[in-house]
Amino acid sequence: MKNVLSIVDMHKTYPGGVHAVRGVSFDVMEGESVAIIGSSGSGKSTVLRCINRLIEPTKGEVRLRGEMINTPNADINDVRSRIGMVFQSFELFAHLRVIDNITLGLRHVRKMSRKHAEREALQVLEKVDMLDRKDAFPGNLSGGQKQRVAIARALAMKPEVMLFDEPTSALDPELIGSVLKTIRGLADEGMTMVVVTHEISFAREVADRVIYMDRGVVAESGPSSIIDSPQTERLKKFLSSISEED
Amino acid sequence: MSETTISLRDAPSKGRIYGYFVLASFSFLLVSTTAVAQEYRSGWDVVESGTNNDLFSVEATEDEIWAFGEDGVVLGSQDGGLSWSHANVITSSDLSMSDSGFGSILAASTDGTVIIKLESTSQWADISFEIGEESISGVSLIRNNSVIAVGSNGSIWKYESETWSDYSVSGVDLLDVSFLDSERGIAVGEEGAILFSDDGGVTWDYRDSPSEASSSRIIDIEFYSDIRAYAITDNGEVLKSSREISTQVGFLWNMQYFESEGGSSNLGANLTSIEVATTNKFLLSGSGGYLSMSKDGGNIVTKQLIPVDNLTSFNDIVMIDGFNGITVGSGGTILITERSGEDEQVGFEVRDFSEFGGFVDYSKGMLIDGLFATINIVLFGIFLGFFLGITLSMMKTSPLTLKEIAEKRSLNLVRLFGALAFIVGFMFLNYLVPIVKGLGLDGWEYIYAPIGIINPGGITGDLQFENFAYLIFGVSLILLGSLFISANGEYKKSERELFGRTVLWNPWGVRPLNFIATIYTDIFRNTPLIVQFLFIHFGIQIGALIGDPAAELLEGSTGFIATFLRDDILSNRACVSAIFALGLNSGAYQCETIRGAISAIPSGQMEAGRSIGLNYMQTMRLIIMPQAIRICIPPMGNEMVNLVLNSSLAMVIGYSELTRKAKLINAVTFQVFWSYGMVLISYFIVTWTLALILRYLENKTRIPGLGISGGA
Ligand SMILES: Nc1ncnc2c1ncn2[C@@H]1O[C@H](COP(=O)(O)OP(=O)(O)O)[C@@H](O)[C@H]1O
Ligand SMILES: [Mg+2]
Repeated sequence: MKNVLSIVDMHKTYPGGVHAVRGVSFDVMEGESVAIIGSSGSGKSTVLRCINRLIEPTKGEVRLRGEMINTPNADINDVRSRIGMVFQSFELFAHLRVIDNITLGLRHVRKMSRKHAEREALQVLEKVDMLDRKDAFPGNLSGGQKQRVAIARALAMKPEVMLFDEPTSALDPELIGSVLKTIRGLADEGMTMVVVTHEISFAREVADRVIYMDRGVVAESGPSSIIDSPQTERLKKFLSSISEED
Repeated sequence: MSETTISLRDAPSKGRIYGYFVLASFSFLLVSTTAVAQEYRSGWDVVESGTNNDLFSVEATEDEIWAFGEDGVVLGSQDGGLSWSHANVITSSDLSMSDSGFGSILAASTDGTVIIKLESTSQWADISFEIGEESISGVSLIRNNSVIAVGSNGSIWKYESETWSDYSVSGVDLLDVSFLDSERGIAVGEEGAILFSDDGGVTWDYRDSPSEASSSRIIDIEFYSDIRAYAITDNGEVLKSSREISTQVGFLWNMQYFESEGGSSNLGANLTSIEVATTNKFLLSGSGGYLSMSKDGGNIVTKQLIPVDNLTSFNDIVMIDGFNGITVGSGGTILITERSGEDEQVGFEVRDFSEFGGFVDYSKGMLIDGLFATINIVLFGIFLGFFLGITLSMMKTSPLTLKEIAEKRSLNLVRLFGALAFIVGFMFLNYLVPIVKGLGLDGWEYIYAPIGIINPGGITGDLQFENFAYLIFGVSLILLGSLFISANGEYKKSERELFGRTVLWNPWGVRPLNFIATIYTDIFRNTPLIVQFLFIHFGIQIGALIGDPAAELLEGSTGFIATFLRDDILSNRACVSAIFALGLNSGAYQCETIRGAISAIPSGQMEAGRSIGLNYMQTMRLIIMPQAIRICIPPMGNEMVNLVLNSSLAMVIGYSELTRKAKLINAVTFQVFWSYGMVLISYFIVTWTLALILRYLENKTRIPGLGISGGA
């Protein structure tokens, strides 16, 4: 199996002085889906943002297919277009119709013609089951629909790896299912992905590997079975606190 | 996610009804009031001259005033013109012209008689000379005992060291001559002749007069100052020469068009003389009881009331200072004024001109002209301002820091650039040192140095904008250079001791684009708009600097838009200045409005754009700006309405927009309430239309399902 993403000793200190990530290392293999879990504030989003350099890691290496991407010389726009990102709050472009949300990157980054881009867009929309709303504006969609469009937008760029940052946390419970189903479908197709999630059952069923982060470090990691048999006290506590909530 | 939204405005229809209501109430107010107007009386008073001879010419020195006339009459006054006495008659010729200056007074007759009174003496000396067939028609002192006289057939004589010599040119009859100093003088004559000398009257060169005046008789010239000369023709035209960016006065001559005569270049009077009181204020005299004045360089010339009958021909005017003046005329008439001859407003009373319909008939043409003039500068100003606003707001929000610029390059390259920048910056500043020294500044006055180095030569010097650019580049390059030289690859904040306290400073965090835009907006938002108008028009002369060359580029174009731009916009300097003043100012404010809207877009939108691989500018252009502009349509509407209202300030630079037209209508009809009231309505129509357009745009561009712009 080929190594797609490799993070070595990543640190991030925010300008205010918060040392949010303190030496995180992990690898993501081709076709693997990795779930990152951990309590709020433990640095999960920071790690994801550092991977495609929406923020700059203070220290450490990020490699995409062996190529170092966090140097000033790397073509950052190209790197980002190879990494798909899905946000907790969707971040659809409100002034554009669904289809235009998706063709935007194809036309301006991949330099496709409008026609070609639209053909591609229709394919990914079909995949996330949003074809019938292709001419709607994001403001008129439900949360679950929005997130599926956001996934389609990232997918359309044909990324080598997808990063999901709590894709279902902003959704009403009854809408979560459709989004998870879409992500699961991607995993089944062999998409390489890193999913930050609070949906423990989803992590258990879909993820090949689970990483548990606590206070900026990887406190425990292993196959998804560690959710059922945690080795560390910290993870045990975290899991029980989550099941209490449910 | 909840889909409920809050409507931020009233429904459009309500707004429209409100507009009609305001319009209706204005109109009602206008027609329902009685016509009021002021009564005026002449600003001139009659004084007793003690003679019935025609008086032709008048001169004033520090403490004496002299009038000259028919049959060699010479009158003197030592009390500012209130009482006059006869001087000893030394000639019986008609003394029809005179001049004063360098402490001396001079009078002459067409037949060659010339008398002069030197400063130290109290007696008139006769320096007449033989002129043969020719005749004299103008004289001018060029030193205390040196004279230039001009006359028929290109005659030019110079009196120097008590002898007359002949410097005649071939050509037409010359009619008058005026010298600014001992060197520079202008002679004028028949067929629009204008001659210029800069060697004390020895050699003369022809200058082009405006084509409209090519067959006119230019009868009087006044070389007033380094920046202005005026001449008149006997059929009622005024010619004007101003210092242009790098051309002296006297080289380029323009016809003066009178707004008060509906844009004509003819005053419809037989003029006899012009007297310039200040650069832009002059008085005119003429036959048929004609006295008039202009306070704006001739844009508006108002005929003044006179306290004598209309048969009097006024032959000459002299201003003792900016306000006190004397005019002389036929039949021994002498009038005196303390207010530049301007009619005096003596009170209010109900006037005859009381029919609103008639008033509107008279003024509507002018108002519509003014309305179009206003719309012109407003439209172009809005475009310029919007363009600037977008650019500046993007610069202000740009996150690019010096650190990011340096980080991408190798350390050696950064240091090398630093060293180069330092050297170049130093050379710029070094070049300025002698110029700054030459300004004669002292201590805190150095804050004015930037203005001084642009225009070190004063009014006669050229503007040297490059010096200012050197200053800015010099200082910034030295600062930037020092920083880049000090680069050690860390680009970190550093701690400094300042007044015993440690302060964190982070020069690498400076955002250069933001810095530039901030300086721009700070300058334009912290100075009064009216001063910006004056500075841009009179100081920078942007009309001549940009408008003229641009108009030249379009020379020969025949397209509708090209000819409109060339004839109606670019060749009207005040219009170009007004557009720039409005646009530059509004740009600074629009920048802040747009910036506010940009910061209202959630930062996630930028991240989402970047995460699909768009670069910063693409994300701004395709994602952030389209949403920000929609958000800021309502506040931008305010900015645009402000721009329209501010456009009334263009009248201070002589642009004949609405407000200025109102003053003009008022000056003619005395209908204060009606004229300003109609202007109010006109402004209201413009801004209200603008508001409707913006409201339409707002609805049109509303994003469906987004609460921010009013809900679906
Ligand atoms: N932009 C920021 N500036 C300063 N501190 C931040 C910023 N973003 C996050 N943090 C801090 O970094 C820590 C990790 O945050 P985050 O990565 O968002 O956690 P998680 O996604 O696991 O909830 C938190 O303590 C948070 O307060
Ligand atoms: Mg998070």
